Amino acid sequence: MNGAVLAFALRRAAATLALLLALSLLVFALLYLAPGDVARNLLGTRNVTPEALARIRELHHLDEPFLAQYWWWLSHAVTGDFGTSIRTGGQVGPLLLDRTGVTAATAGLAFLLSVLAGVPAGIATAVRRGRPLDRVIVAASVVGVSAPGFAVGLILLYVFALGLGWFPVYGTGEGFLDALWHLVLPAVALAFGLGAFVVKLTRAAVIRELDQDYVTFARGRGLSERRVLRLVLRNAAIPIVTSLGLMVAYLFGGTVLIEVTFALPGLGSLMEESVLFKDIPVVQALTLVVALVVSVTALAVDLSYLAIDPRVRARAVRR
Amino acid sequence: MTEGPVTEGPVTEGPVTPLLDARDVRVTSAAGVLVAGIDLTVAPGETVAIVGESGSGKSMTARALTGLLPEGVHATGRLELSGQAYDLAARTPWQRIRGSQIALLLQDPFTSLSPVHRCGEQIGWALPRAGRAAGVARLLAEVGLPSEVAGRYPFQLSGGMRQRVAIAAALAAGPGLLIADEPTTALDVTTQHEVLELVAGLQRARRMGLILITHDLRLARARADRIMVMYAGRLVEEGPAAEVMDRPAHPYTARLAACDPPVTHRLPALPTIPGSVPRPYAVSDACAFADRCDLAVEACRTAEPVLAEVAHRPGNSGHRAACVRPSDVRPVAAPLLAVPPAAAVPPEAGLSPALLTVRGLTKRFPGSAAPALDGVDLEVAAGEAVAVVGESGSGKTTLARCVVGLERADGGSVEFGGGATGPRRVQYVFQDPYSALNPGLTVGASLAEALKAAGRPRSEVSGLLDLVGLPAAYARRRPRALSGGERQRVAIARALAPGAEVLVCDEPVSALDVSVQAQVLNLLSNLRRDLGLTLLFITHDLAVARQVADRVYVMHRGRVVETGPVGGVLGAPAHEYTQRLLASVPAATRAE
Amino acid sequence: MKPVKRRMKRRPPVVAILSAVVLAAVAVCAAGRELLAPHALDQDVYLGVVGAGVEGHLLGTDQLGRDILQLSLAGARSALAGPIVVAVGSMVIGVLLGTFAGYRGGIVDMLAGRYADLLLALPSVLLAIVVAGLVGRGYWVTVAVLIVLFSPSDVRLVRGAVMEQTPRPYIESARILGIRPTRIMFRHIAPNIVPIVVANLLLNVAFALVALSSLSYLGLGVPPGAPDWGRQLADGRALLGDNPLAAVVPGVLIILTATAVNLLGDWLSELLDRRVVAR
Ligand SMILES: Nc1ncnc2c1ncn2[C@@H]1O[C@H](COP(=O)(O)OP(=O)(O)O)[C@@H](O)[C@H]1O
Ligand code: SF4
Ligand SMILES: [Mg+2]
Repeated sequence: MNGAVLAFALRRAAATLALLLALSLLVFALLYLAPGDVARNLLGTRNVTPEALARIRELHHLDEPFLAQYWWWLSHAVTGDFGTSIRTGGQVGPLLLDRTGVTAATAGLAFLLSVLAGVPAGIATAVRRGRPLDRVIVAASVVGVSAPGFAVGLILLYVFALGLGWFPVYGTGEGFLDALWHLVLPAVALAFGLGAFVVKLTRAAVIRELDQDYVTFARGRGLSERRVLRLVLRNAAIPIVTSLGLMVAYLFGGTVLIEVTFALPGLGSLMEESVLFKDIPVVQALTLVVALVVSVTALAVDLSYLAIDPRVRARAVRR
Repeated sequence: MTEGPVTEGPVTEGPVTPLLDARDVRVTSAAGVLVAGIDLTVAPGETVAIVGESGSGKSMTARALTGLLPEGVHATGRLELSGQAYDLAARTPWQRIRGSQIALLLQDPFTSLSPVHRCGEQIGWALPRAGRAAGVARLLAEVGLPSEVAGRYPFQLSGGMRQRVAIAAALAAGPGLLIADEPTTALDVTTQHEVLELVAGLQRARRMGLILITHDLRLARARADRIMVMYAGRLVEEGPAAEVMDRPAHPYTARLAACDPPVTHRLPALPTIPGSVPRPYAVSDACAFADRCDLAVEACRTAEPVLAEVAHRPGNSGHRAACVRPSDVRPVAAPLLAVPPAAAVPPEAGLSPALLTVRGLTKRFPGSAAPALDGVDLEVAAGEAVAVVGESGSGKTTLARCVVGLERADGGSVEFGGGATGPRRVQYVFQDPYSALNPGLTVGASLAEALKAAGRPRSEVSGLLDLVGLPAAYARRRPRALSGGERQRVAIARALAPGAEVLVCDEPVSALDVSVQAQVLNLLSNLRRDLGLTLLFITHDLAVARQVADRVYVMHRGRVVETGPVGGVLGAPAHEYTQRLLASVPAATRAE
Repeated sequence: MKPVKRRMKRRPPVVAILSAVVLAAVAVCAAGRELLAPHALDQDVYLGVVGAGVEGHLLGTDQLGRDILQLSLAGARSALAGPIVVAVGSMVIGVLLGTFAGYRGGIVDMLAGRYADLLLALPSVLLAIVVAGLVGRGYWVTVAVLIVLFSPSDVRLVRGAVMEQTPRPYIESARILGIRPTRIMFRHIAPNIVPIVVANLLLNVAFALVALSSLSYLGLGVPPGAPDWGRQLADGRALLGDNPLAAVVPGVLIILTATAVNLLGDWLSELLDRRVVAR
């Protein structure tokens, strides 16, 4: 049993690794996608002398075949060596590390907020399907899904920071509490759209389960409504966990815009600056890191099925 | 015919206060009335069967009595349970009623248990926390399951075992009345028999009332003390089971019983009921059956007949019918047609050369342990009708699909008139009439396309419709405007469009009500006679096989275990499995 | 239980009508931009930033002295044209590829599946930022990039819907009758997945609007100076103190338009669903 589960986990991990490998190829190709000469792109706006170009060519093995270059880049990337930033001239790895904290905190806070608010709201609306509360929350969630985070962020800034003065306008603050205080508005702006998705998905999942025969049968044999709800939630957990995994990818798209809006020095704003500056090594590194996080989340979701869905467990064992 | 079942429980009259006494139960949806006010009583230990075709309101009645109506559907009426009266239209304290007084068992054991909870847990929820494990083990033993089933998940059990688990769960809170809505319809015949026996035993042991909802009149007769017949949301007849079945007082009951084919002999043509069931809310101020009744008179169309005691017959107890001419109703005898059964039988197999030859067919689906087909040999002569019978999972459908090329066999051969299966010479009729036709195309367009594929002109559409007994105007309709039986006719017409010689029919009538089933079976038999059609007919229903086929193959676990002329195999089965199949048919147990 | 057929009680779809009105207004602005907002790009640098209510500038001006009202009306075009092209384009790819992959299976399916896996492993907005930033800055180039990035989820959607239809008896009957595969795919299967396609098309329009304005908010996509709500927001960020409407008006417009499209999509999918159930 345990061996089979382990084999299942390993198989899924291998598939994730293969996907990441393919993605890294795609990411490496970014360098070639950008219009213009690769060496020039890597030099950026620094003074372009023939010697500098030659040095870059040699440094990046640009005269070798594409796959050899890719291998060279990848073998360094896995050790955390993503080369030097064109813009700052510094190492990319430390630059990323430096910026990770803010992003992790904002995204984590937003994720927490949206799950803590979205899942209960989704359940409440599903149970009260068609009643006024349901209508109001569903309407609000459509607005949430439709509103880009930066627009929400600007409105929040205007109302709560500039207007009411409850929150700081920009920056990250000093010390833990102050830092948290600075992150509230960005996290809320990010959580607004995310939470709306969570509400929609949770509601749909719970409604689907409520319509199943086993719910009717549970009631038909006299189980209490609380028991029935627990039964439903246990079954709805499977699709809900899946969608929470998907949320992580969504979170990364949103965080770029939020960090730009709130001038937070995180990975997102680093991405924006690097893209605008065509700082390709940084962009490559960032994209690869995001791909890694997203695929590892997907893997975690897959593995969590082993715990929450006995059918998946059985299938894993049978193979 | 023997007498009705011997029951230990008291029958209707008598001093015992009924367990359940429901008055004027009426169910309405936005569309209108679904159940038009029926009265129902059940005594302790009594079995009341509610029978009727699909859509007659059986399930809605059961749901109304348990407060489990779907959204948008409401009930009115009075419900008295062990002396306590409730108003169905008001807020009924269902929490106190369900479980300990009434439990509802559903049809499909595959969906009625939570897939992610262990069976023991699901049974245990209704038990007090203390001693739960012991209680679960006791209940499992009561339904004839070993105690380790408690640790299994539903998907690890067979259909019959799941239904046993569901029964254990339903009985956990010790209800005085069990309502079972088609509890065995989703199960195989042999399992059906076992589950019904189990329920009967439990009922006796617990002196429980039972409302058995079924579409199967024979099953009702074999299991129930009283039968209530529903038609279009109305109660049209009720009374002691044997009385209702042997001396029906409503034409619908009489004719419905006659539609059910016997397993013992072949009828030249099955009795049918022309037309189809009206929507319950489409009937007003008339007998709901009037359009299909050959006894109908003027009075039938001016007012709805009320349920009245069938008084003129001696010794009836609570036999009531909603008909203005109850005394003119006679049981419908097997039709005495001029054509003797032999005439319907085509030339003996072996005389004409085999049109379809299957040799050593094997097939294993990836991921499954046992093969679906394990070396099947089969032969069908031109003009012959051959039935393949067996339980679900025995490989019948896989065989049929391999024959028409929808599935590729792993080994063996399918040969057709000497060569491999030719295009369009073999056609297929599917089980589910509702998905057999493209919902977006009109009947005419579907048929025209089939004709065109075979290079025949569109003008033949009306001829095809005529062939299957549908008016030419149906060409303009879409499938959604057709009943199940009509859809199945169109599907047959489409299969005939390319001039098929062999029709492979996979359970073509098992999704249909008996009255409609009879119509479709008669149609197939006429087509055979008129077009010289060859049939390979897949069915789980031995009685249907008896009516349709000349020869029969019995399949079990991917193998043919017995074959021969249908009369011989079903009359004197040689294989143990065939004997078991036959023993499970309610008709066989009753009609010696 | 059979699904409830609510045929009798049908309230007028107020929400859908309101959404349609909003979208019609946006569409009119987009089509008649030259007529409705002829002065959208007129700069009045002497005036500088002014707040709402100044004569001739109902909603004030931005940092270049452009009238916010005119600019916002003019921004309707890039808010509608691009998203519609993105949604339609990616759905065309989705239907073609998804139908083939779903019906045929095999190598086409395998390749389509891997392609989708690859692109879906990255957040599409992020990828759009990267590609649009590195490749080019034209509006229509960005639209093309979004088509590519949106298509995998459409391919998956259509493929799933097709695979649900394929084992149905009516399709298998057509196969046994010897009807050509292309005809089965596009005459039998395609019409039956229209509800899913149409509903998703609208949801994609909303999503593309959000994505495109996100890009222009970051300075990608539309060229500098062009009237566009996302870009207006980016510019308005610095003006929150002087004329907050410079940011609030385009922000509300984006939210309003996207919400209207989403609501219309939800309504339509429910309606079409009911149709399918009814038959
Ligand atoms: N959820 C529902 N809402 C409204 N009407 C329904 C619903 N389910 C079934 N019906 C209608 O109720 C009538 C009776 O159905 P039902 O009780 O299920 O019949 P039976 O169990 O006898 O087959 C039918 O006309 C059917 O169309
Ligand atoms: S009342 Fe009339 S129409 Fe109805 S069943 Fe009796 S005879 Fe037939
Ligand atoms: Mg029913």
